[in-house]
Amino acid sequence: MKRALLALAMALGLPGVGHAETFTLPPFTQAYEPQGVDERGAWMTADEQERLLRSSKFVIRDDGLNHYVRGVFCRTVGKDRCANVRIYVMRMPEFNATMYPNGMMTIWSGLLLRVQSEAELGAVLGHEFGHFEKRHGVFGFKNKRTMSDVMAWIGVAAPQSAGFQYSLLGQVYAFNREQEREADMIGVQYLAASDYPSSAAARVWRRLMAEQDASASARGRKAKHGYAAGYFASHPSELSRATTLEAAAVRYGDEGDEGRAAYAQALKDWLPEFLGDQIKRNDFGGSDFILSQLASDGWSGPLLFARAELYSQRGNPRDYVTAAQFYAQAIEKGYAAPKALRGLGLAQLRTQQTEQGKASLRQYLQQSPDASDASLISSLIGN
Amino acid sequence: MGGMMGGWKRLSAWAACALMMASPGLAQEKTGVKSGFILPPGSARIVLMRPSVIVGAQSTGGMFEPNADWTDEARRNIDRAIQDIQGQLGNSVAAYDSEAEEAGALSGEYRSLFTSVADSVREYQFFPGNRLPTKKRDKGFDWSIGTDVADLPGLSNADYVLFISTEDHYGSTGRKMLQIFAAMGGVSVPTGLHKGYAGLVDVKTGELVWLNADLQMGGDVRTADGAQKRVGQLFEGFPGRTMPLAQNALPGPAQP
Repeated sequence: MKRALLALAMALGLPGVGHAETFTLPPFTQAYEPQGVDERGAWMTADEQERLLRSSKFVIRDDGLNHYVRGVFCRTVGKDRCANVRIYVMRMPEFNATMYPNGMMTIWSGLLLRVQSEAELGAVLGHEFGHFEKRHGVFGFKNKRTMSDVMAWIGVAAPQSAGFQYSLLGQVYAFNREQEREADMIGVQYLAASDYPSSAAARVWRRLMAEQDASASARGRKAKHGYAAGYFASHPSELSRATTLEAAAVRYGDEGDEGRAAYAQALKDWLPEFLGDQIKRNDFGGSDFILSQLASDGWSGPLLFARAELYSQRGNPRDYVTAAQFYAQAIEKGYAAPKALRGLGLAQLRTQQTEQGKASLRQYLQQSPDASDASLISSLIGN
Repeated sequence: MGGMMGGWKRLSAWAACALMMASPGLAQEKTGVKSGFILPPGSARIVLMRPSVIVGAQSTGGMFEPNADWTDEARRNIDRAIQDIQGQLGNSVAAYDSEAEEAGALSGEYRSLFTSVADSVREYQFFPGNRLPTKKRDKGFDWSIGTDVADLPGLSNADYVLFISTEDHYGSTGRKMLQIFAAMGGVSVPTGLHKGYAGLVDVKTGELVWLNADLQMGGDVRTADGAQKRVGQLFEGFPGRTMPLAQNALPGPAQP
């Protein structure tokens, strides 16, 4: 019922209806075919990209994870819409997701690490699907072409008109931001129509801002969160997105289970991997923030191990003291991987605990005698 | 951007880039052969990778507008023209098993790698004013995509891999109008891009033994006759060819 009402509201409110374009509105139907030279060209290009991407080494091929992400997507946008979209989960540590004109979507592992519930993931998936549903790719292309055509003519006819050209260029970016705003609204509407609460959408952006603050502050800088986007910004500012989405969620006033526990359970096996990728990004403040968010219900073994790695990677003498404590706590909490003993031993060696360090490393070698660094570690123990 | 561009320098960088996108290489050499490389007729088995073909228009502002119909047409025409010319290459040429190609990401990666290497050859050896010290003509023709190419599934019986790629941006009416008006004001606006690469790689060593790279190719690939001409040009200077395609002859390739 909720979904039917929403469909009606969207049909009445769609800016695309009555637009000068003569296209019929897509693609609730299965097997939508691109129309016109531009859209067909865009699909051809995307098809070629997909041919390469689907066999890329960066695609995570774990059936369980893929099935889970697709399940959240289908529960967010509904079964009829989700059927034709191909989702590729990419092993990339940045916060990002992309949508191609032909219905190919990528979700990056850095995003999976940062959202904390099915509803938050659904908000992003719905946003990306909104780009597809409203065919933003081809309209963005047309807009860019029109503007660059006009700029080329002006460049020839009136080379002194730099100000006007600058304003045309600004419109290209403004158009893109408008598309992002529209996709945000579609995403939050899907959420409101689903069993997930729409209030989750804004939280994604609030948390991202907090991470930027933490990251900047660890570097001795100050993050700036303006409401207005920059002149050449491709997206609206996080602050304005969060504010708009919060207002929308209040308007819809829907409730539901966010699926926090289910999300944590589904990501459990991948969490150490994604955390490892994040820690390699050399962003101490951001990584520590992500860890503390994940540890809101208590520090588990894998989280403690990741935190120990984060400190030993930064590598100040004092960091090894902290790292050694976290390694030890991780082992206490039952984190069984031998690499925790290795980390502990190395940290102890660097913090005047030579005998304890050697003992830890000896234990490490007992547990994994064939480790690739076995001879190096042996030489440190000195026997 | 020098002062010679006058008022143009005030164009935003973006618009300028759009206009310059199709700037052609000047006085480029087009062909390179590894020193001493000969390919006697009937001596080798050559595998042809799936040609990369992309065709579209160039908007007034210089943006590429991919065109699915033209690309389909061009792919069919080029495939047919390659079949026609195979008999004249003096050696057996077989298309890469497409099922093996689907199986791995590797062949796509090698196609991209070949294009990158070919771009470098064009940029740093074929362009006389821009040669790297190690790529002067007296240093020979020494390029490789790595010995691991032999690991591509399905190449166990092959001696050479043949890569072909073409990219065509046909100037739109608007672009040509712009060109005419700009010319009246003494400003040069290039229109169209017709880029083609063909290269032969030794499977055992990964060495690029022959390359033909041209940014101003002839032949409209959207037509059967044009594609014949294009493919003829792509195989100019192909080592071991049994008969030359005199009607399409370009200025002779520079010898190393």
